[in-house]
Amino acid sequence: MGRTLALLLAAPALAAAVWQTVNTPPALQFPRDHGAHPAFQTEWWYVTGELADASGRHYGFQLTFFRQGLEPGPSRPGGSALRARQVLAANLAVADIAAGRTRFAERVRRIGSGLAAAAEGDLDVVLDDWGMRRSPDGTVTLAAADRDAAIGLHLELAGSRRLVLEGDAGLSRKGPGAGNASVYVSDPRMAARGTIEIGGDSVKVNGEAWFDHEWGTSQLGPGVVGWDWLGLRLADGRALMLYRLRRADGRAAPESAGTLVARDGSTRRLAAGDFTFAPLTWWASPRTGARYPARVRVTVPAAGLDVEVRPEVADAELDARRSTGTIYWEGPVAVTGSVTGDGYAEFTGYASSLAGRF
Amino acid sequence: MLWRTLVVRPATRRPLRLLTTVVGVAAGIAALVATVAASRAAVAALEQGVEEIAGRARLEVTGPDGVPEALLGRLRPLTGDAVVAPVIEEIALLPALGDAVRVLGVDLLLDEQVRALEPAVTSLPSAREATTLLTGRGVLVPAPLAARLHLATGDGFDLSVRARRERVTVAGTFAPRRFGSAWDRVVVMDVALAQELFGRVGRLDRIELVPRRGVNERALAGEARRLLPAGVTVEEPRSRAAATSRMVRALEFNLAALSGVSLFVGAVLVATTLATSVVQRRGILALARSLGASRGQLARAVLVEAAAIGVLGGALGVAGGVLGARAALASVRSTVAAVVRGVPATEIRLPLWLAAAGVTVGLGASLLAAALPLVEAVRTPPLQGLAAERPEFMRRPSRRRAAALALAFAAVAAALARAPAWHDLPVAALLAALALLGVLLVSASPLLDLLARRAAAPLARAAERTPVRLAIAALAAGRRRASWAAGAVGVAVALAVAIGTMVHSFRATVIDWADQGMRADIWVRPLAADTGVQVGRLDPEVVRVAERLFGKDAVDPFHTAAATVGRQQVALSGGAFPVVARRGGVTFRDGRDSRAVFAAALARHAAVVGEPFATRFHVGEGDTITLDVPGGTLTRRIEGVFYDYSHPQGMVVIDNADFLAVYPDDGPQDVAVFLPPGSDARAARDRLLAALGGRFLVEALLNRELRAEVVAIFDRTFAITRALQIVAVAVAVLAVLTVLFALLGERRRDLALLRSLGGTRGQVAGVVAGQAALLGLAGAVGGVATGLGIGLVLVKVVNVQSFGWTLRFLPDWGAMAVTATLVTAACLLAGLAPALAAARMHPGDALREEG
Repeated sequence: MGRTLALLLAAPALAAAVWQTVNTPPALQFPRDHGAHPAFQTEWWYVTGELADASGRHYGFQLTFFRQGLEPGPSRPGGSALRARQVLAANLAVADIAAGRTRFAERVRRIGSGLAAAAEGDLDVVLDDWGMRRSPDGTVTLAAADRDAAIGLHLELAGSRRLVLEGDAGLSRKGPGAGNASVYVSDPRMAARGTIEIGGDSVKVNGEAWFDHEWGTSQLGPGVVGWDWLGLRLADGRALMLYRLRRADGRAAPESAGTLVARDGSTRRLAAGDFTFAPLTWWASPRTGARYPARVRVTVPAAGLDVEVRPEVADAELDARRSTGTIYWEGPVAVTGSVTGDGYAEFTGYASSLAGRF
Repeated sequence: MLWRTLVVRPATRRPLRLLTTVVGVAAGIAALVATVAASRAAVAALEQGVEEIAGRARLEVTGPDGVPEALLGRLRPLTGDAVVAPVIEEIALLPALGDAVRVLGVDLLLDEQVRALEPAVTSLPSAREATTLLTGRGVLVPAPLAARLHLATGDGFDLSVRARRERVTVAGTFAPRRFGSAWDRVVVMDVALAQELFGRVGRLDRIELVPRRGVNERALAGEARRLLPAGVTVEEPRSRAAATSRMVRALEFNLAALSGVSLFVGAVLVATTLATSVVQRRGILALARSLGASRGQLARAVLVEAAAIGVLGGALGVAGGVLGARAALASVRSTVAAVVRGVPATEIRLPLWLAAAGVTVGLGASLLAAALPLVEAVRTPPLQGLAAERPEFMRRPSRRRAAALALAFAAVAAALARAPAWHDLPVAALLAALALLGVLLVSASPLLDLLARRAAAPLARAAERTPVRLAIAALAAGRRRASWAAGAVGVAVALAVAIGTMVHSFRATVIDWADQGMRADIWVRPLAADTGVQVGRLDPEVVRVAERLFGKDAVDPFHTAAATVGRQQVALSGGAFPVVARRGGVTFRDGRDSRAVFAAALARHAAVVGEPFATRFHVGEGDTITLDVPGGTLTRRIEGVFYDYSHPQGMVVIDNADFLAVYPDDGPQDVAVFLPPGSDARAARDRLLAALGGRFLVEALLNRELRAEVVAIFDRTFAITRALQIVAVAVAVLAVLTVLFALLGERRRDLALLRSLGGTRGQVAGVVAGQAALLGLAGAVGGVATGLGIGLVLVKVVNVQSFGWTLRFLPDWGAMAVTATLVTAACLLAGLAPALAAARMHPGDALREEG
């Protein structure tokens, strides 16, 4: 039953008109805008990164908090505070690159139950005993652990020099219609240190993380079934974020876009025509049968970039049907070619269409 | 060969005797099985339900009347070790079903981790329907219930919640995992919707914990207790089931004990019959012995017969018991409903163990009953048997020994009746009742003697050669067996009288209590299920409407919630003390005027308690009690103890103002309205119902109607008991019939002699009928005396120990006289058939047989 109910998190916006939509470049103000935006239907705080322990063993990690609004506006008089008007879901994945294994855990709970909250003034998201919180000095603390999956994450991410406002000063267009957009803010290079737990061992780690924060209402345009996302930190100090919005025929929607962050932090917007994204090989999930891109050739001709992005763990398919209701591939990747680097890739909508969900 | 001679032939030649014996056993077993099956069905929903519905939850956080939802947040440190899930479990009336359903409010987002309900394949909720589950009024319905009510996904249906008509929508159906699951009658909804519907916003019934992998349950419970405030308990789900079943257990035990007594009557009947059949066939037995049959062979033959009767009677009894249970379910249900509110009963089922137990008990009783006849059969020397001499065990018993035994039994009974309850069960008292039956059995023979002589003295003077003297002589000859028959009749009469006395005392007490205590003119309460069981509470709006119409000082809303004393659950209620202080209410056991008691209680913030509470916790007027209530404890002085026959678990009543300071106003149990003297109650009721409009599913009863209903509920509750009374009388008649035929067989020679000496057919018939009447009379007299004794134990000891309430001892003298007369008459009638048979007998044949 939970599985079918979790679909709710991706349920069509029944009262979309009442949710606020993103139409113009936002006037962002921090730290306020690190916090939650409950007037918008969908929001996430997404941290991925690569870590290494003292012996040089490498790990990938992902901790994401999703907020989904089910009912906009003020609560009904006399209504229960437990009404699931806003729901939080969280996904935690730790990939042991040497072992080629990804472990995954998830949580879900309604906001207002005393066990789930997303503060509005600054980043402070809590779901059960998982959390993501930003201190005034800019440090972001991540805490999440799951006994059943035998993984845990306790990291401090040092605040970076500069936030990247993706798209048009933070307005990231995802579809042709009014409101088919989100506010998208990133911090591609945050120094990470702390411990991870994996299979019962606690390991001290250091590394680098990519922080994304995005919110909006019915962002995807019609006909889009999923997206492919890359967040790459290049060895030359640049960082590349790009997403390809995929239609049912496999072709990219014109709103696909990206951002190239220069070594000095300056950004360059990439439109759909400014880059190519071509899967070279595919990986089929033995569990769901879904086929995901594996090795991908990415080019940004104007920036002289021609690289191959290769998954560091083949099987990073995450079954989040109990929380967000989706199945997707999200894992660490290595970059080779005109420049080397590492980062994370996300492939969605391959196990089932995401049309109408975001 | 021996088998055919001793068992098959008599059975085929005298099918009636076999039949009555088997029916006797069957009646006892049927009563036992019916009682157990019906009370199981009434309670089953409770016990299985708890664990089945708890799913994977291993611990429950509960408190008196639930816990505040804010406790969820306190448990946050535990969420790594356990899934923390809020639950509301309530009861609602499903008008389309005419019955109550359980409403389970859970966190539908994560409840899969606690209870994996299988969606029925045909109706996966669409995203739109699924959304209604969380933000609207969507509910999940078990597929069997949906089919029965012809509900499909998307259909709306009404629930009566707090007497309000609430429309909900089927967002999906689920398939209970097994047939006859507790889930069959559960409507599942989101916890928030349940809070809103049941007026429990901000509160939960419990918080469930599902430990994650590798988590030690005890450590988890300890940690949870550390995080939670005092007064909140962390327990396994089954301890909640145990608490409730403890309350029902006393009830079940009493029912089973009552049916056990009827089984006892059945066993006496079997013993009588077997003894008779052994004696009747002592010629054949002796012949068999003289022809070389061993004692073992004879013993086996007797035992086989007893076993056959036991198994056959047991099997018939089990079958009859299941039918009886169907009939008795309504009765048992309303009894259980008095203890545990709103448990939907399950269907009657015959578990294998119960069927096996029924047959085994039947077999055991028969074999036990065969013991004495067995000794007789084995001991009879061949010569004596053939010579038609008196069987050894039929020698005149020692009157002194009988008296000593009777005294011993009486002393044991007296001691047992004074013994305290065993684990809240009146075991000793019921054993005392058995001991009293023992007194009856051992004194049956001397009593017969006595009666015979007393009856004979005047009659003998009047008619020197009346058949009465012969009857007396005949009885004296067959004294032992006759005393058995009289004993069987006596046990049956005693049982009937005891039950009658108990029911009559109880009924009269309750009627009196209702007449004195129920003084309001109109009672409003939620619509009851078809079974008559009240489901849930009233919406607070009903109180406001009544107050607008009749004034605040005329309306008494009665709230009830759960609280605990020590760790035992009691009912804590709130009443409008200012209203009852003026208008009067219940009856107090110290005889004070109820208005004065309530006025004093109001002035001092004191409580009044029901008598069962006072008994259970050994407190009385002037004592101070402390209850665990939500958010702390409540300490009150006891201003008065009132008679209460509705809350055996104990009830404490405080003023509504105090009550509502502790509990949220989520609606009263019922509302009483007091009208000015001389008002037209009927018109007032019409006005009230009109003002409530069609929004509420309530019923409003006038004073007279409510009192009539109290009696009706009482009678329904005691329907089983009355049925047992009838079984007892039926068994008595069967006993007499069986024994008289046997006596007749034995006295054939004497009767033939009487005829050949010039006795008329009428005289012969008179002898036999006289025997029957004497037996009946002896049984009736002994039975009435013993029955009164047992009735006294039931009224003064068993009721107090089981339920904590005192009843006045009010034997129903009229009914008792009728019972005694009827039984004697029934015996006389039962004796008619043998009497006619005796009259038709040809003296020559009977005498020649001896040749």
